[in-house]
Amino acid sequence: MKKFTVSKAASKGIVMGKAFIAVQEKLEADTRIIKDSEKDIELAKFKKAVKDSVAEIKVLAEDSEIFAAHLDVAEDAVLADSVETKINDENKNAQLALEEAVAEIVTMFESLDDEYLRERAADIKDVGKRMMCKLKGVKSNPFEGIEEEVIVIAEDLAPSDTANMDFKFIKGFITEAGGVTSHVAIMARSMEIPAFVGVADFRSNITNEDYIILDAIGNEIIVNPNEDTKAEYLKKAEDYKKMKAELESMNDLPATTLDGRTVELFANVGSIADVENAVSRGAEGIGLFRSEFLYMENTKFPTEQEQFDTYKKAIETIKHPMIIRTLDIGGDKELSYYEFDKEENPFLGWRAIRISLDLKDVFKTQLRAILRASAYGDVRIMYPMIISVEEFRAANEVLQECKEELRKDNIPFNDSIQTGIMIETPAGVICAEDLAKEVDFFSIGTNDLTQYLLAVDRGNQKIAKMYNSFHPAVLRAISKVIEAGHKYGKMVGMCGEFASDEKALPILLGMGLDEFSMAATEIAASRYKVRNLKYEDCKELAKAVCSKSTIAEIKALID
Amino acid sequence: MVSKKVIVNNKTGLHARPASSLVSFVKKFKGCTVTIINGDKKANAASIINVLTLGAKKGAELEVIVEGENEAIALDEIVKFIENIEE
Repeated sequence: MKKFTVSKAASKGIVMGKAFIAVQEKLEADTRIIKDSEKDIELAKFKKAVKDSVAEIKVLAEDSEIFAAHLDVAEDAVLADSVETKINDENKNAQLALEEAVAEIVTMFESLDDEYLRERAADIKDVGKRMMCKLKGVKSNPFEGIEEEVIVIAEDLAPSDTANMDFKFIKGFITEAGGVTSHVAIMARSMEIPAFVGVADFRSNITNEDYIILDAIGNEIIVNPNEDTKAEYLKKAEDYKKMKAELESMNDLPATTLDGRTVELFANVGSIADVENAVSRGAEGIGLFRSEFLYMENTKFPTEQEQFDTYKKAIETIKHPMIIRTLDIGGDKELSYYEFDKEENPFLGWRAIRISLDLKDVFKTQLRAILRASAYGDVRIMYPMIISVEEFRAANEVLQECKEELRKDNIPFNDSIQTGIMIETPAGVICAEDLAKEVDFFSIGTNDLTQYLLAVDRGNQKIAKMYNSFHPAVLRAISKVIEAGHKYGKMVGMCGEFASDEKALPILLGMGLDEFSMAATEIAASRYKVRNLKYEDCKELAKAVCSKSTIAEIKALID
Repeated sequence: MVSKKVIVNNKTGLHARPASSLVSFVKKFKGCTVTIINGDKKANAASIINVLTLGAKKGAELEVIVEGENEAIALDEIVKFIENIEE
């Protein structure tokens, strides 16, 4: 039995299972040029890869149209011809021939101005990837075939990895990369999968034969526990579940302080399942609908109808205000079907509203879908990463166009739909008053705001210690934004991880934050906390905190 | 080798589902090589990738060329198939 201590849990809970070390191979082709005598071998390798891929896809295609299309591509004569020609005439090995053939066809399809063909380009890429896995002898989905309860241990997990997981068996994650605000951490929280991220020097100590207890309450990992320890932790897990249930029994009570200040507790969601979960956990609205998941979990840009169906279902489920954030990709979030240029500084690059304003058709498709859903309830629009009044106006101009189109076609929508912005850049903070005059609401995104204000990359393990939202700069920025919003009578919310931090909550409450949006799992605990605080005390605390010049002094006030 | 011209009559042209059903249909004639020509573009009719890039829209005049076993019968069937595509 061995114990490892971890500094902070990304998602709380206690689970146990066998270790499952995810092998994530890089799929780069071998670039070797072959001898004439090797051609037959390479041709045979390719044929076998096709045969194996086809067999695999056939099973998947039984109940999926997407995979039926993949089957056509996998059996395609032109793809096979192209690969075979490259092997025969250009002496390329099978991997290189496949990589080039797929790239050529994909480029050709993507260059055509035809949405249907662009979708097919994504199919071709996927099939190419599957064949490449066969050629390299690796599994195309590293999480396939798991049939017992496991704790996944990986270097890092991408959205496409988590989309492939069967959570019946996958009970927890431990990753080497990432901070508590990385994608995998957010995902784990919303799925209620206990997780540790950024655990260095752990993976190399573990094999698939080991049994693991992941205690993301006491922040410990126990490897190969004896029976007594196992029993002790099973009981701890049970107790934790009971306590959570107790907190949730207060779901119907308002989040009102002892002296009568009421705030709103909203949920951050990324899917219909999340919205349903939010309702059952007592969310009073959706403060952040991460629309990017609709895009990331798709094989093409989602259509207006697809998006409308999702937004409509969501607003009809929550029956309270729902803030939809328009597409927020770029940075660390990519799409499998859209090629992003490699950037030096993706977090300072082409992302979020910048992409939407450039890809106007994509943006309009989304805005039309949101507008149509606004006929069914209090749907609001939020633009991410706004750095200027001009950007907000430009986005609203596109919205205006969409409204006129819908009006012309007699499609119902809410003409006075609220539009607000995320405050997550230093520019947004400094220009908060100017922005407050024009927007309907603010929502402070503390994850990016902290990273940008402090110039600390939130995914970089080496400087993870410097990433701290209790830095005076961050707290004062938050206070300034709330004041600016209130000066013009606008609602100010927060949808970053900070909103559910138990130490931050009294400060934010004291600063006057109106709406706290968080993972649904945190709502019960926050409600309990708010109901046991005095607004007047919190105001004093907020004032004191903003006057301190070091993190240590601030911590001393709140610990 | 036999060939025949045919006009694409359906709304979407040789695209999406019609293209994929044509490819499956052509594959039934195992002993034949089927080529379709649209203007300056030429496609192996057994390849979905190739057929899609023909860009054959409604009204396009295609030339279907069949070579192999029972080519005349195959040609008739394939032309009829294209004429009767719905959607």
